[in-house]
Amino acid sequence: MLKSILLVSLGAVPGAWLRFRLINHFEPIVPAKHWATLAVNIGASFCLGLLVALNQLCLSNQLMLLLATGFLGSLSTFSTFVVELLVLLHKQAPAEALLLALASVVSGLLALELGLAIGGLQ
Amino acid sequence: MKTIRLELVDLLLVGVGAIPGALLRWQASVHLAPFLPFASAGADLVVNVIGAALLGYLVAPPATAAPLLLALGIGFCGSLTTFSSWMLDIALLQRQGMHLDALALLILSLGLGLGAAAGAYRLKGQLQSHR
Repeated sequence: MLKSILLVSLGAVPGAWLRFRLINHFEPIVPAKHWATLAVNIGASFCLGLLVALNQLCLSNQLMLLLATGFLGSLSTFSTFVVELLVLLHKQAPAEALLLALASVVSGLLALELGLAIGGLQ
Repeated sequence: MKTIRLELVDLLLVGVGAIPGALLRWQASVHLAPFLPFASAGADLVVNVIGAALLGYLVAPPATAAPLLLALGIGFCGSLTTFSSWMLDIALLQRQGMHLDALALLILSLGLGLGAAAGAYRLKGQLQSHR
């Protein structure tokens, strides 16, 4: 149990750091931060698909706690995504909010399926 | 162009919030999943909606102090909630042929998440005006 707690924590900290770093790094390039959040979420979804597929073959549960639950779980975020949708709605930009929601969900699912496929899960 | 310097203190604050966030999400999926519809998908939905509400409250005016926003907003809420597991939950339902349930999980998460964030956002304004 203590080992599992340590593994999840050890994955969570760099995951949160990377998300924080990437979203701030993208800011000057991408017009609004929410597209950076989208990029981070898509990347994490792809990696999770890959890990889940590989887990069927060779990965240990401990590695899944570290990488999937800890690292990727912390790297990707739902709360920021939803609050960014809310901010767009408050700015009277419902079309962009709809675009962001659709783009996030569609590309997130595609990225996850791509990860599963590359990892060899049918 | 605005350059953002990442101070060691900022990273420490994000990290301090991220650990309990991730541990709670993990424990929710272990302990809540057996009692919820769609098992771990249900547990992910619960933590995602709670995290969305908390972040909605934090970003509402008046502004939250920067260190608190880093620890609670980016660290805790960011790690408590997960986008990738939500995508996995939907994909697994689809793969089991439960397309309607997958669509329901998608719409329910978006609706409840947005509703919780908007409600908490408004609540903070109301609490402030009562003071």
